[in-house]
Amino acid sequence: MNRYQFEDLISEYIENELSLKKRKEFEAYMKENPEAQQLVDVVQKTMDDMKGISPVSVSHDFNDRLMARVRSEKGPGMHPTSQENTWFGFTPIYASLMTGLVIAFGFISMQLMSFDNPLNPSNQVVAGETIPESSIQIQPHGLKNQSNFAEAEEDSTFEDGKQKTQKDFSNKIHYVND
Amino acid sequence: MSLDKQKQPFVYTDEQLIARFQAGDERAYIELVNRYRDRLMNFVFQFLGDMEQAEDVVQDTMLKLYEKKHYYREIAKFSTWIYTIARNLANTELRKRKRRKTTLLSHMTRDEREYELPAIQPETGQEVQSEFAEKRIQAAINELPEHFKTVIILRDIQELSYDDISSIVGVPLGTVKSRINRARLQLQADLKDLR
Repeated sequence: MNRYQFEDLISEYIENELSLKKRKEFEAYMKENPEAQQLVDVVQKTMDDMKGISPVSVSHDFNDRLMARVRSEKGPGMHPTSQENTWFGFTPIYASLMTGLVIAFGFISMQLMSFDNPLNPSNQVVAGETIPESSIQIQPHGLKNQSNFAEAEEDSTFEDGKQKTQKDFSNKIHYVND
Repeated sequence: MSLDKQKQPFVYTDEQLIARFQAGDERAYIELVNRYRDRLMNFVFQFLGDMEQAEDVVQDTMLKLYEKKHYYREIAKFSTWIYTIARNLANTELRKRKRRKTTLLSHMTRDEREYELPAIQPETGQEVQSEFAEKRIQAAINELPEHFKTVIILRDIQELSYDDISSIVGVPLGTVKSRINRARLQLQADLKDLR
């Protein structure tokens, strides 16, 4: 143990907070260095002197003056004096702000979830699913036209294919042997 | 045994009192003021070294307690909370004082100041001698840097635990211990002439 390590441990030694091993090291250092023992004694004496400082008290009219100040400063700037002036633990101003935010959130949610909104996931058609007739009827005009157009295209190709497969070529077929 | 227990008046803890005060009971506030006014006065007086200023700071602390009672949450001890308020206000007062420090004291040398402080000669009697020693100790505490001064007062005069001091000052426990040790070493060096 060197001088710096010794000085760092003085308070812990006096307050009996050192481990047994450290305490033994500390006491061995003191035995070797009498001035170290002296230093510990002086620090202990200083601590005792500080504990012995006579206490001071506030003046006798302290409470009266304090309550007078409390009454005079109890104005609009003061915090509420009872829980009755708070709503769920919020002061009126914060409660109003919170209410406003909740209303705004609700309004935005309703807008997003409305049927007219294309962003509404319930309005999006999953590929391969047939659209019920009733839902086609409530679609906007433009969209309805688009679906008719697609239907028309689909029909023509389908009809063509149908005609091709349904034509009777039996009279026109001549075998090589004939 | 059970009768004795019944006779004892029920004593509210600080935390119960502040809860009652938060619910609007002003008698709880008065009780808290009565409990802490002298403790805080001792702390602030040692910190500032001036009775009048110390009492003003304690008044401000109690007024803040009244105004900011809803800021207290029971996660902390009430005592550490009120000490923290007092310490912050005392620090502000100390900084103000430093700014307006235009007195002759600031131009004096350290030796001159030491002559100035003890107004009573030590050899006039035992009582006077202890008063002289007390003033010397207070002067030595006042000479300490602020971060040493706060912790040494809280530990050696107010006798608070290291944990409480750590909460009040807002630094880790190890730092508090180290500061207290350094402050004690510096104080004993400053007070060598008293031995």
